[in-house]
Amino acid sequence: MARPALMLLAALLGVTATVTPALAQYRIGMSAAIAAVLVTITLGILLRAAIVLVYTDRIRHPLPLLGLANPPRRLPGGAVVSTFDLLTVAVAATLFVGLFAFLRLSPLGIQMRAAGEKPLLAAQRGINFQLLFALSWALAGFAGALAGILYANNVRLDPSLGVLGLKAFAVALVGGLDSLGGVIPGALIVAAVEVLSVRYGDPLLADVSPFLCLLAMLPVRPWGLFGTREELERV
Amino acid sequence: MAFGGGYFKTTYAGDLALIDTRLRRAALGLLVFALIVLPRFASPFMLDLVAQTALAAVGALALNLLTGLAGQVSLGHAGFIAAGAFTTAVLVEHRLPSPLLALPAAALVGAGLGVIVGIPALRLKGLYLALGTLALHHVVLYACGEFQSHWGANTGVSIPPPRFGAWVLKGTIAWYYALTAIGGLVLVLSVNLQRSRAGRAWMAIRDREIAAESVGIDVARYKVLAFVWSSALTSVAGALFAYQRAFVSVEAFGFFLAIEYIAMVIIGGLGSALGAVLGAAFVTLLPYGIDAGVAALRVPGGAEYYLFPLKFGAFGLLMAAFLVFEPQGLVGIWRRARNWVVLWPLRYRPLRPAS
Amino acid sequence: MIPDLELENLEVVYHHVATAIQGVSLRVPPGAIVALLGTNGAGKTTTLRAISGFLGADDAQIVGGRVLFQGATVTGRPPHELARRGLVLVPERDKVFETLTVQENLRALVPGARVDHDAPRPPVTLEQVFHYFPALAGRRRQLAGYLSGGERQMLALATALLCRPRVLLVDELSLGLAPRVIESLMALVARLRDELGLAVLLVEQNAGAALAVASYGYVMEHGRIVYDGTVERLLAHEDVREFYLGMGRRAGRRSYTEVKQYQRRRRWF
Repeated sequence: MARPALMLLAALLGVTATVTPALAQYRIGMSAAIAAVLVTITLGILLRAAIVLVYTDRIRHPLPLLGLANPPRRLPGGAVVSTFDLLTVAVAATLFVGLFAFLRLSPLGIQMRAAGEKPLLAAQRGINFQLLFALSWALAGFAGALAGILYANNVRLDPSLGVLGLKAFAVALVGGLDSLGGVIPGALIVAAVEVLSVRYGDPLLADVSPFLCLLAMLPVRPWGLFGTREELERV
Repeated sequence: MAFGGGYFKTTYAGDLALIDTRLRRAALGLLVFALIVLPRFASPFMLDLVAQTALAAVGALALNLLTGLAGQVSLGHAGFIAAGAFTTAVLVEHRLPSPLLALPAAALVGAGLGVIVGIPALRLKGLYLALGTLALHHVVLYACGEFQSHWGANTGVSIPPPRFGAWVLKGTIAWYYALTAIGGLVLVLSVNLQRSRAGRAWMAIRDREIAAESVGIDVARYKVLAFVWSSALTSVAGALFAYQRAFVSVEAFGFFLAIEYIAMVIIGGLGSALGAVLGAAFVTLLPYGIDAGVAALRVPGGAEYYLFPLKFGAFGLLMAAFLVFEPQGLVGIWRRARNWVVLWPLRYRPLRPAS
Repeated sequence: MIPDLELENLEVVYHHVATAIQGVSLRVPPGAIVALLGTNGAGKTTTLRAISGFLGADDAQIVGGRVLFQGATVTGRPPHELARRGLVLVPERDKVFETLTVQENLRALVPGARVDHDAPRPPVTLEQVFHYFPALAGRRRQLAGYLSGGERQMLALATALLCRPRVLLVDELSLGLAPRVIESLMALVARLRDELGLAVLLVEQNAGAALAVASYGYVMEHGRIVYDGTVERLLAHEDVREFYLGMGRRAGRRSYTEVKQYQRRRRWF
């Protein structure tokens, strides 16, 4: 098929993927949780189809193509990590602080939290909650894309990277969905379990280890380590 | 929601009837007759499509019980299907390939799994439940994968055709009749559950849990019951899947399968048995429709390579379209059409007169 | 004089099928408090939602008539735009952001951006708000979810005021509150009208409390406006006295069996 036609189709898929969440989330007659989950899945399907249409589904290593190197660094204490590992940690920390400040202090961030709690009331207070929902999807997409860029440069690039996103759910829930501060301990726990199961178990077990963490957490403390019980009722 | 009709039920028996009007009885009789005589007219390919739809409908109806009626979102449906399929595989490995044994065994395993999931799920709802079942799906698949590699059967397990005494279930027409009959049975069972005490309890829990509890519904018991029914039926669908494909492998039960089933109940219309069947047909037939469309367009050069992403993308587009424009699904369209007929020549049901 | 808010033959349909209100017309002149009375299911809340652009969430739509705000047709405009123009709703429930603190509740809104040239809307400051609602000042750092019913209602009014309303739509101000709290809140609404020059549409079941501050009233039943008039006229009407204020024609209290017959004896038409 002609390349421009494919690009056009991919663009169409991409646009649908970005417009759908904002449109669907409040139109839908069912509970907000199902809507959000379905919209996320739909978005993943659309974007993946777009990517496979434009690129191939081959595994690639972008770093050499960019002409960049990823030299190992020795940390004090003897540990060896790659440069992109360090970069990933730095980006995560910056993003974390930035998001925290945005949501706690800026008027837009407070409006976003308000719209997240009660979209209809937010609209009655002059907040364009559809725009804010779109913005929050964009922010989430931005953070996800950053993670993807760093991971692809550090490890490899292939269209099935999306599975990585599922692990993020485990991290968010273990830390507590409404607790930004819980993200860090949540991520540390999930990552530690994964690394340990690679070392002492097998790689297949490591793939499911985030989900095992989640399953261990849910019956005991469903709202997560640092979440609040009220959040359980909301989503 | 049907509005404006003058048809009211005046007895409890009438309220409980499975088929309540003469028109419906006639339509149903016609449908059954058509399905029975279909093999005389349709090509084997068509029969296979109907059979596949019936099999998908079993899974969709089971998911509809849990998500549509009881309101418990499950992303772990593919895990339950895998559990049924692998139960069959285990029995085959132990030289017990009879479906008379495998189907009840699959149902039993499914029911057990339903209890195991259902009891912790009592504390969860909404997003948490969805993600918990998603996690469960991955863990069940991991367990199945371990089993598979444990046997040294890295690619999968072959399943012999089901055998009842001397008779072997083989060939398109036999499978067509078998799967359509089972699909019909599960449909009756599911409609029956919906109109009975359990179904009403589920709907009450779905609509408002606290209110349901305060009118004396044992919420915990009925939630677990919903998981048990749903996962037992799903596992049976998994066992049938294994027999029909004659092959079981972990790769067939990925996350996408779970999404396909969710798509069936959403596109069909949550909470409606008719919707589940319509959705199953829609999602099953969609890829074949795209195949036919691409073949008809005669796109030159390497179109086959793009077929997979095209199908994938079309699936996503349709799901997005239904989520945005028709959250009630195909059943919503059907209801609107029915209301239009009932209310004609009026457009809306008028106000009550101010007496 | 152009009324601040005017409805012309509004008709709303739910689920594309069921008519909820029909031919509803009313007007709220500048600086007036207008009461909209009616029992449960009369269509009061549907009317309010239709005005403030909120029907989509309930699968309802306006199929006839128009909503005029300061002379301009605003039928079906999105709710946030109406709020910014100065048409602000205090909803019946879910009226504060419970996971936000009181301070954050007061910050999480967009004050009216559109300036009317002939009659500019005065800005409302936080100081003014705390002047009207002194109880909130001491609770700035508390989560709004921990406030009492009366304090919530105050916070809801306060956030609505910060949007710089021209017309305030109040849904069931009295719901779930003690008579004394209702009285003081109603007095406050009257004071806000006097000092900030607002027009108010009070939607109430508690007819006594609403008619105490309103100057004009509409009575809704079965999705239609069945009676309207000045408060004096309403208070003089035998049926309003009997069915909405609980005052019989004869002196003294009425028995339950007598009240039960009231559906049959209504004579609006």
